[in-house]
Amino acid sequence: MPELYLRMLDRILTPVLLILTFFLLLRGHNLPGGGFIAGLMAAAAFQLQILSRGEEVVRKQVGQYIQPGIGIGLLVAVGAGIAGVLGSTGFFKGIWFDISLGPLGYLEIGTPVIFDFGVFAVVVSVVTSYLLGLNRVAEGVDA
Amino acid sequence: MTQLILALTVGILFACGAYLVMRRGKIKLILGLGLFSHGVNLLLFGSGEMILGKPAIFNDKANFLGELATRSFADPLPQALILTAIVISFGITAFMIVLLNRRDTLLGSEIMENELAPGYDWLVYTDDDLEEQRQKQAESKGNGSSKISGGEPL
Amino acid sequence: MNPNLLAVPIALPLFTAALLLAVSRWGGRQLIDLQRGLTAIALLVNLGVALALANYTLSGHRLVLQMGGWQAPFGITLVADGLTSILLTMAAIIFLAVLPFAIGTIDFHRERMGYYPLTLFLLMGINGAFLAGDLFNLYVFFEVMLMASFVLLTVGGQPAQTHSGIRYVVLNLIASLVFLAAAGIAYGTLGTLNMAHMAERLQTAAPAVKTLLAGLLFVSFGSKAGLFPLFFWLPSSYHTPPPAVMALFGGLLTKVGVYTLFRSFTLFFPDLLVAWQPLILGVAGATMLIGVLGAMSQPTVRRVLSFHIISQVGYMIMGLGVAVDGQNLAMGFGLAAAILYMIHHIIVKSTLILAGGAIQIEMGSDELARIGGLVSKRPLLAILFFLAAIALAGIPPFSGFVSKLSLLQITMDSGHWLVAGISVVVSLLTLNSMTALWRETFWGEYEHPGRLTPWLLDAPLRRWLVLGPIAGLLVLSLGLGLFGERFFQMTNTAAQQALDQAGYIAAVRPVEPESVAGPADYPAESPTDKGGHDE
Repeated sequence: MPELYLRMLDRILTPVLLILTFFLLLRGHNLPGGGFIAGLMAAAAFQLQILSRGEEVVRKQVGQYIQPGIGIGLLVAVGAGIAGVLGSTGFFKGIWFDISLGPLGYLEIGTPVIFDFGVFAVVVSVVTSYLLGLNRVAEGVDA
Repeated sequence: MTQLILALTVGILFACGAYLVMRRGKIKLILGLGLFSHGVNLLLFGSGEMILGKPAIFNDKANFLGELATRSFADPLPQALILTAIVISFGITAFMIVLLNRRDTLLGSEIMENELAPGYDWLVYTDDDLEEQRQKQAESKGNGSSKISGGEPL
Repeated sequence: MNPNLLAVPIALPLFTAALLLAVSRWGGRQLIDLQRGLTAIALLVNLGVALALANYTLSGHRLVLQMGGWQAPFGITLVADGLTSILLTMAAIIFLAVLPFAIGTIDFHRERMGYYPLTLFLLMGINGAFLAGDLFNLYVFFEVMLMASFVLLTVGGQPAQTHSGIRYVVLNLIASLVFLAAAGIAYGTLGTLNMAHMAERLQTAAPAVKTLLAGLLFVSFGSKAGLFPLFFWLPSSYHTPPPAVMALFGGLLTKVGVYTLFRSFTLFFPDLLVAWQPLILGVAGATMLIGVLGAMSQPTVRRVLSFHIISQVGYMIMGLGVAVDGQNLAMGFGLAAAILYMIHHIIVKSTLILAGGAIQIEMGSDELARIGGLVSKRPLLAILFFLAAIALAGIPPFSGFVSKLSLLQITMDSGHWLVAGISVVVSLLTLNSMTALWRETFWGEYEHPGRLTPWLLDAPLRRWLVLGPIAGLLVLSLGLGLFGERFFQMTNTAAQQALDQAGYIAAVRPVEPESVAGPADYPAESPTDKGGHDE
């Protein structure tokens, strides 16, 4: 059941939510945030889409990416742990790089951030699949 | 004093959770399980030493034992445990809600009539069979759709 | 032996499952073949690792992995001893045996919904629960296992499945929460969650702490194992999923509960094994009796089999009850017999469930009143089911005989005549129930209810995919029965290791926090920031 106001609102809100998601994801290592919270936030963006456009539209768009999302997320997360072994610092030990961004300062990126990306992918896929299932029932598509 | 309040809260949460789980109705079941897991999370929280207003990391690596002696950082273990427990109970509760709603739309009620009637769907192993069964289901749903309400809104 | 091998039974299924899910968007039927192939490879490697571990640990060693090099009470510890590696091997064998059956019988829809990745997650959870060296990781792996089993139980979305799935989820969730509360209390009173460290500190702990912890753990693990007052989630849900799923559940999930009971009582509360003996034996006797009586009143093949799971778990708990008892027999004889019984039960129960599933597929129903006379059409299936049934009941030369005999021997030796008598009666009732099952299904007038699908067992390839695993598992059971003494020696080693509390503590070597030498040796990162975020 598409809703008119929500559809107008979600054009503005969804990008904002997704940017906020990205922000939470990146600051997560030292400050509140991280993969799990960011994943929930991104799933909230999907829920907004579901509310405004209806479950079936969203399922058509993202439904096929849910299983690969879980798989790739797990692979990335485990891979970040294994990178520690390959970098001879031990399983799940962090390896950090500082990338200079010129006037913007430094981007600190390391295997824990990559691990967070993996967690993010898993959480957003799983929660979105739950939300799709719930909305499917609520909209009576199943019945 | 904090300990006492915490213990009482845990007890009340457990009692309410147990009461609600044993009631009939899916909302009560979900709420009861939620209260149960909150009670357990609080219990985990109370299992660590209470240190007020300090983060769970130590500032000065060189003075670790000194910081431990002056209690200038909180115990990180219960926090990690609670975080994991919250994530897990979140996942299971969401799964439960989907499952309960699905059951209600499939059965149209919370009680299953003739529970012994076996579901043969896993016997189907070709696409043709699947299609045939889908058609049968569609027919039977077309006949019986008046029984199925849209499910109680959450 | 390299302790990093201990991570393989956990990491390999996780990695394979993630890989299978990651590629699941691309390809249709070919993808399913790829999934089957990768799963088979992963399960074979897993079996190889489990056998290597068993070979090493059953010569009296323990293997300990401190993940990331963190010393014992701070990091994640994985421990393998004889009991662990026997069960790891059994899990690997059952998963490998069920795979061909699943390829033959699971429908395309379920395969596309991720049947193979889910079974791999289930294997990861089971292996992790066997290997976990601290209480919290045990909880996490329990939950991984339960989440995978919830989805496997309900995928397909039939009314009966979702309906029974709810009971299963709710009761298992409550049992898990009780377990988590026990973990919280353990941390609050003992200040540690590492099992070896807990065992060390429980020796001097107050009796109230011990009683509380033992009670909570007994309730929670007993509910997962299907013990007497808390078993009712099991028969109400196990008969609904496809037989390939039910074989995994019936063979292994309750055994994880039994394993944790064995581990916690031998490691944490060896003195309570004596003090609580009446309770344990009482629960065991009631479980056996109620299980078999329930089985005799059930109307379908798979419901009968799921009640038999409960009754058989009672035997294992009886073995735990007399683990340190006995006058003429050696210390630990009871536990060794119980572990042997566990091996026997895992094999035979999975065989029976697969055979029962084959009946249901063949007939289109497994309601005893509606089917009959299958022996004329499928003599091979009839023979296999009969052999599995007498193996469960304990007729020589199959494995049921040696394991039941040794259990009975120790129970009578320790003078518990009542529970020994119950176990004999239950054996007879089991035999009666199984022969009745066989008679109703295979004997008499040939009748089968109308059904949608063509004969499953007519296609030669599918017939061997279905009957091959059943026959293979029966050969294993026969081997276990014929070489009972050798296997008993193995389980005896495992039992002695499990009862050797000091040896376990010494192998893990937990360090006291006060003795950590100071800042230079102390790890730079907080050790808790890497656990369990991915579930």
